[in-house]
Amino acid sequence: MTDMRHDFADRLDFLDYVRDQFPDATDPYAATGALRGGRDAAAAALAMVDAPDYARTRNFLGGAVTRLSPYLRHGVLSLAEVRDAVMRRVSHREQAGKLVNELAWHDYYQRLYAEIGDGIWQDREEPKTNLAPRAYADTLPNDVCDGTTGLVCMDSISRDLRTGGYLHNHQRMWMAAYLVHWRRVKWQAGARWFLQHLLDGDPASNNLSWQWVASTFAAKPYLFNRESLERFSHGTYCRVCPHYQRDCPFEGTYEDLAARLFPVAEAMKADDSTSRGDRRKIRTDAALPARAAKKDDRKKRRPRDRRYEE
Amino acid sequence: MTTPADRTVIWVHGDCLNPHSPAFVRYPAAPALFVWDDALLAQYRLSLKRITFIYECVLQLPVVIRRGDVATEVVRFAAEHDAPHVVTVESPAPRFATIREEIDAHVRVETLPLPPFLEYRGSLDLARFSKYWRTAERYAFGSTRAADVAEDAE
Repeated sequence: MTDMRHDFADRLDFLDYVRDQFPDATDPYAATGALRGGRDAAAAALAMVDAPDYARTRNFLGGAVTRLSPYLRHGVLSLAEVRDAVMRRVSHREQAGKLVNELAWHDYYQRLYAEIGDGIWQDREEPKTNLAPRAYADTLPNDVCDGTTGLVCMDSISRDLRTGGYLHNHQRMWMAAYLVHWRRVKWQAGARWFLQHLLDGDPASNNLSWQWVASTFAAKPYLFNRESLERFSHGTYCRVCPHYQRDCPFEGTYEDLAARLFPVAEAMKADDSTSRGDRRKIRTDAALPARAAKKDDRKKRRPRDRRYEE
Repeated sequence: MTTPADRTVIWVHGDCLNPHSPAFVRYPAAPALFVWDDALLAQYRLSLKRITFIYECVLQLPVVIRRGDVATEVVRFAAEHDAPHVVTVESPAPRFATIREEIDAHVRVETLPLPPFLEYRGSLDLARFSKYWRTAERYAFGSTRAADVAEDAE
């Protein structure tokens, strides 16, 4: 048995070696951009963490996110170690509240993973989208994988994922919602794609977050709209998107989008029982947009954003 | 029963690539091995970026690096060092449990716990994060939280 190399002349030598040793790897991007592996890089990233700034700006692309997740994923840093380092730097517990809460999500997912194991790949619950499992495709559409949908936001996120291996949490949620709800792809297909590329790809956090978006681990499906995406991306995508204010699929209120994306619920049919004609209409077209439904019903299915649009 | 460090080898896996891991702390002189899990790489079709990142992490560890079937390689490494004892660090991944059992069929495996995020040994409701958080919040801030509570109580 020949040991693999531990010492390299320089980074180029290292990257050439990795390419040579792993020819079956699925993409040509050996370099990881600004994110380097190793304890030294992890310690440097930890030293840069500003918990109050994180709390203020983390929801925005370009905000003061920590980028510690790849190091946490591979145990280069422990959750307790990060928490303790952050707590030493704040004068009040509340200043670290958001960050500690986020670390707790990791702890929560790890505990759940220890409990359910490979069940992490199965739906935790029935989806709340009123769609049959067969409505969802098993594989990703090529235009999303290749970043050629024509939607600047989704194509950019696809490219960032494939080239850099890191996405802001909002980018992850937007892409996940787009794939599951707009393109009707099984969350497992998207989860596998993310795990393939994300440097912090961890089956627990990744899959359970996808299930949260899909509503197989949440009371409601997660949706976003153009207004929300534009706000949290500072307009970066929308400004140059040919679909902006024309035919953007994310344009509309949450109620409108839910009505467009999800068929009429069984509960809604029951509520329509006073109108026999309406009920027949809905029954004959299972995918009838719910805008034909009563306003109250739409409210019931209003999606929400877990940690961002409180 | 403890095993002398010179008869112990460390199995380093991808969920704990930390030079200060409990295994390195407890057995600082023990030979250590990291194995690229070929089956896992194929199963997840890991991109080259991910492989590069993990490799960079491994390069900062005092380990021998090999690839192949993980259990086979760890057992072989232990035999090379005449070690009846393999030490590693816990992981929630089911694959970790499978490999550990495969190794344990040949060489005794000791699994060390990681420092817990919550200093809490009671039960936690994992049905939803909100339920978990109801209990976890009291412990999630570590000792600083305890100090604040004391101040609040005054």
